[in-house]
Amino acid sequence: MNTMEENHILSKWLNNDLTDAELADFKADPDYEKYEKIKKYTAHLEVPDFNDTKILEHVVSHKKTTPKGIVLYKNWLFKVAAILVVGLGITLIMQNFATQTQYAPNGKKNTFSLPDNSEVVLNAGSEIEYKKRNWDNNRNLELHGEAYFKVAKGKKFEVTTDLGKVAVLGTQFNVKARKNRFDVTCFEGRVKVNYKNTEVILTQGQSVIFENGKQINTSVNSPKPEWLENQIAFNTENLRNILDEIQRQYDVSIEVKTKDSDKLFTGKIPTDNLDVALQIIATTYHLEPNKIAANKIIFEKK
Amino acid sequence: MPTRSLSNTCDEIMFSRFFKSHAKSLRNFLFYKYGNKDHADDLTQEAFIKLWQNCAAVPIEKAKSYVYIIANNSALNGIAHQKVVLEYEKNFTGSDKTNENPEFILEEKQFKSKLLKAIENLNETQRVAFLMHRIDGKKYSEIAEELNISIKAVEKRMHLALVELRKQIDSIK
Repeated sequence: MNTMEENHILSKWLNNDLTDAELADFKADPDYEKYEKIKKYTAHLEVPDFNDTKILEHVVSHKKTTPKGIVLYKNWLFKVAAILVVGLGITLIMQNFATQTQYAPNGKKNTFSLPDNSEVVLNAGSEIEYKKRNWDNNRNLELHGEAYFKVAKGKKFEVTTDLGKVAVLGTQFNVKARKNRFDVTCFEGRVKVNYKNTEVILTQGQSVIFENGKQINTSVNSPKPEWLENQIAFNTENLRNILDEIQRQYDVSIEVKTKDSDKLFTGKIPTDNLDVALQIIATTYHLEPNKIAANKIIFEKK
Repeated sequence: MPTRSLSNTCDEIMFSRFFKSHAKSLRNFLFYKYGNKDHADDLTQEAFIKLWQNCAAVPIEKAKSYVYIIANNSALNGIAHQKVVLEYEKNFTGSDKTNENPEFILEEKQFKSKLLKAIENLNETQRVAFLMHRIDGKKYSEIAEELNISIKAVEKRMHLALVELRKQIDSIK
């Protein structure tokens, strides 16, 4: 039995993998009984209890982090230094090369400054992307939604939207690009608007709307967009777009249980008083607002 | 539309399921190695915390070898080995329950304690592999995967463990 082939026999036997012939041979071994006893008894061994629920709770209470490399140094000073150096490097690189994103969720506005101190106010439910690298020579940003810009003097400042482009030198203007409607208002200076093949130059107080290819020129009297002062001004806007805006401003969901009206609305609606806002729409469109939850409104026919 | 996360390991349900099926055997593995239950619990917890924190980088298929590697590495940092104290199941009395001869009962009792002693005295590699098979009921292939050795090596450890246990039981008086 003390040969090397026993090697396999014992472990095979423990795993119940012996053939009948091999098993018969092994049973003839004088030590078989002892092995059999060891096998039987070790099948009834126990380890101390393991409280897995408690440990799991503790584990998932930790925050997930972004992937890191394998720890190479046991010395904590090395770790700290390495993290600082890498972190600083990444931050510098990211700041220069990576796309910066500014976002305003529904129900909130977001005011921020660009590297040249130009000011941007994002209206609710809007997003802006731009790159910090070489900003002064390349003032380009991409807008989804609506924003007001107060541009510092400098090289060409360009706002790109899905619907069209707005280029300026130094001025204050508002851009709104939602669905099929592209709305640009100039509050100071001069703004160049490109929509498909059309180019329009706006000066102070002028406004242009492109909706489904149609161009509407209007003018404004206010020195700033109304939405900065908790109001939204609509200019020949349809009900669907007005409700979309209210949903964004108040972060609510609105349903209309009648056929969409094609009447266009021109006027102002507050963004800090939902009940008043709903009442204005209700009166204009002869609807009955029903607040079925704090953030859910259904308009029904009166 | 639900966004797909970087790795399914970050999904709490997937993670919990993985934890439930592997945490205990990882803990037991560490216990067979070091003989200290609290320490084994701590190392297990640490390994799973690391997995959770790095879930985005470790897909669930790789999670098992990940936690074993982490547990093994952190265990390297000078832990005092203790004797692996095991017990028999409460209702296990012996292989032959019909024999009530007092002499036989005494012999059974002696054999049981000799066996525990012999397991304590096994060398670490043999003991770990042997107990993973006997207590956790793992296949040789699973043991090989978790210890990062070949199946042949597992078979060799099993064999040597059995021979060693038999010899020790013979020699303990």
